[in-house]
Amino acid sequence: MRTKIIITLAGLLLAGCAQETVNIDVVNDEGKAVMELDYRDFAQAASEMIQSMISSGTLKKSGGGRYVMTTGRVTNDTMQRIDTDQLMAKIEEELMNSGQVVMTSAVGGKGAPDEMIYEMRDIRDSATGDEFKQETLAGKKTLIAPELSIAGKILQRNIRYDRNTQQVEYYFQLMITDLTTGLRFWQKESIIGKRGDDRSVAW
Amino acid sequence: MKTITNILLVALAFTFTACDQQPAQIHVREGIGSDTLGSNIVTRPVAHAFSALIGERIEIDEAILAKNDTGFLELNINGHNRSYNTKRFRYKIEWLDANGLMIQTKTSTWLPQSAMGKSSFSIKAVAPRVEAVQFRMDTKKWE
Repeated sequence: MRTKIIITLAGLLLAGCAQETVNIDVVNDEGKAVMELDYRDFAQAASEMIQSMISSGTLKKSGGGRYVMTTGRVTNDTMQRIDTDQLMAKIEEELMNSGQVVMTSAVGGKGAPDEMIYEMRDIRDSATGDEFKQETLAGKKTLIAPELSIAGKILQRNIRYDRNTQQVEYYFQLMITDLTTGLRFWQKESIIGKRGDDRSVAW
Repeated sequence: MKTITNILLVALAFTFTACDQQPAQIHVREGIGSDTLGSNIVTRPVAHAFSALIGERIEIDEAILAKNDTGFLELNINGHNRSYNTKRFRYKIEWLDANGLMIQTKTSTWLPQSAMGKSSFSIKAVAPRVEAVQFRMDTKKWE
């Protein structure tokens, strides 16, 4: 009997100590900063990049219309496992919504963002293509090549600040290049720095 | 004795007034420029304590809205930090269309801003949509 009571009490005690899972208020997050890059850092970097691009006037096409843009290679040179789309998806979305740019899914730094473009063409050229109404299949020479490319990298530097503190610096670097001439139209670096306990691991 | 004290006080006031005559665009910080009432080694603790007592903090002087060459609304906010300490805060700007409806955009996120003691600062923002005609801004403490 006594053993049962002890086990029950221990169970209750452990349950009381367990960290409760809560949803993050992503609009007004009051949570503490972390040494790694979190969604707030990506939101901040993306916001700074978008505003810089738009205010620079780089994306205003002479003669009107919209530029066709692709996302080139955005390298993750940090010690963390990051999908750079965390940054680029926000930027692409806002650039398209600004009305100045249309993104292409036909080519990209990581390959075509939408493989279906080529899969449908493979179907067109195969025997399966006969199953489709020919006028609904994409013809040859219908894809539009991008005029601009956006590429860059995210890099990290770890520095010992003092005996117990480390400083982690994250650099977000992006640039826009004219694919016809190779000239770089725009470039920006955004820095996010964190200082914290040396035992916190930033990777 | 009283006369001597009065003369000294007047002389001191003249000294500090004279030191304050510099172009408004240039801010010479404490420890670099000549002493003022707020930076003098004797009067500084009193000035700092008084500033904290009356709760001097961030103040916004003006918000200028203008369309840029590409047709996007640009906002320039000028303010100053009245306190003697550096004030760090976060701000978020939301853009509104002609009907007063909020425009959903990824740029409307909490961004950091820092203003050194007794210094002015500026915040610049660009609406990423041409529909934006007005803005609203919120601030919160830097966590």
